[in-house]
Amino acid sequence: MALGAWFAGLQVAFAQTTPATANLRLQAANSVVDAGFKAVFAAEKAGANVTSLLAQLNNAATLLAQAEIANRTGDYNTSIARADSVLLVAQPVASSAQTLQSAATVASQDAFWLSIEFTVIDAVVFLAILFVGWRWVKARYMKHVLESKPEVPAQ
Amino acid sequence: MKLHDYKLIFVVVGLVGVLLIAAPAFADIVSPPPNEEKFSELYLLGPAHIAANYPYNLAGGQNYLVYVGVGDQLRSSAYYTLYVKFRNQTDALPNATQGTPSPLVPLYEYRFALQDGAYWESLVSFSVANASVSGNQSIVNQLTINGLQFDVNKPSAWDSNSTSFSYSLVIELWLYNATSNAFQYNNRFVNLLLNLTSTA
Repeated sequence: MALGAWFAGLQVAFAQTTPATANLRLQAANSVVDAGFKAVFAAEKAGANVTSLLAQLNNAATLLAQAEIANRTGDYNTSIARADSVLLVAQPVASSAQTLQSAATVASQDAFWLSIEFTVIDAVVFLAILFVGWRWVKARYMKHVLESKPEVPAQ
Repeated sequence: MKLHDYKLIFVVVGLVGVLLIAAPAFADIVSPPPNEEKFSELYLLGPAHIAANYPYNLAGGQNYLVYVGVGDQLRSSAYYTLYVKFRNQTDALPNATQGTPSPLVPLYEYRFALQDGAYWESLVSFSVANASVSGNQSIVNQLTINGLQFDVNKPSAWDSNSTSFSYSLVIELWLYNATSNAFQYNNRFVNLLLNLTSTA
């Protein structure tokens, strides 16, 4: 049993330090940061304020760069450790960005309909005032016409 | 003026007024096409944070400083990578005509995301170690960038035109393309010319 545990430990240690493992972790880290950026980008397009999310993403991107450098220099333990840190930092970014995007989309739609409502109300009020003005002008005109005396040409 | 003329004035005022009232709502729906140029900036500054006094003569064991910066003028957020490469006079530079990067393997890299109009800047400190000169040949075996040591083993022959053992630090700008899910070379690079003067 002790031998089994030793062998399993050896396997874990071996698995954690191979270039293949480091590459896999790096791929995962890259995917998470990429997905995070895409989600932030979409949220920004929807009108959300993404400043804090980009700051969070930048922390992950810095760690990812360190992981990539370590991988290139053959320091696979550091590469794996940094890549794992990337996952922790970047994973919440995508979900937060999606929440922000949904909120921004709803806010944008609300603002649009509010703008339409105000436009319709403003137009109706304006036309009503104009109609009242027209009635007044028409009444004055008619009164002026009715009260005016016909001119008799001088003979 | 006849009643018909008054009527015409009221109709015209009504139409113009309704159009003016509806203009903000129309502006929300029909946004004008963007006519501004979209681009990314890449710059390199000397140790005094100005575009002067760039390190050129390189002595082994000494530390040198430059600032590298990127500006996002893409009208949206962008995700960048800067690759730092070390070359001698025979290594290819990025090809500005074809828009291809240098074929050299990057040593160091920076990754960051920027909002539209924002700038990112970082200090790059570098030094060479285990450099040697023998006759018309020099070699730099190790380059340290921001405290990380890289084995470069880069030789350089004496260049009688520039009277130098010519090396350079190339920094390339890459931009993440969300459609292709990959970083693409942005056809922007800075090339810091260096001359190995002493091996210390």
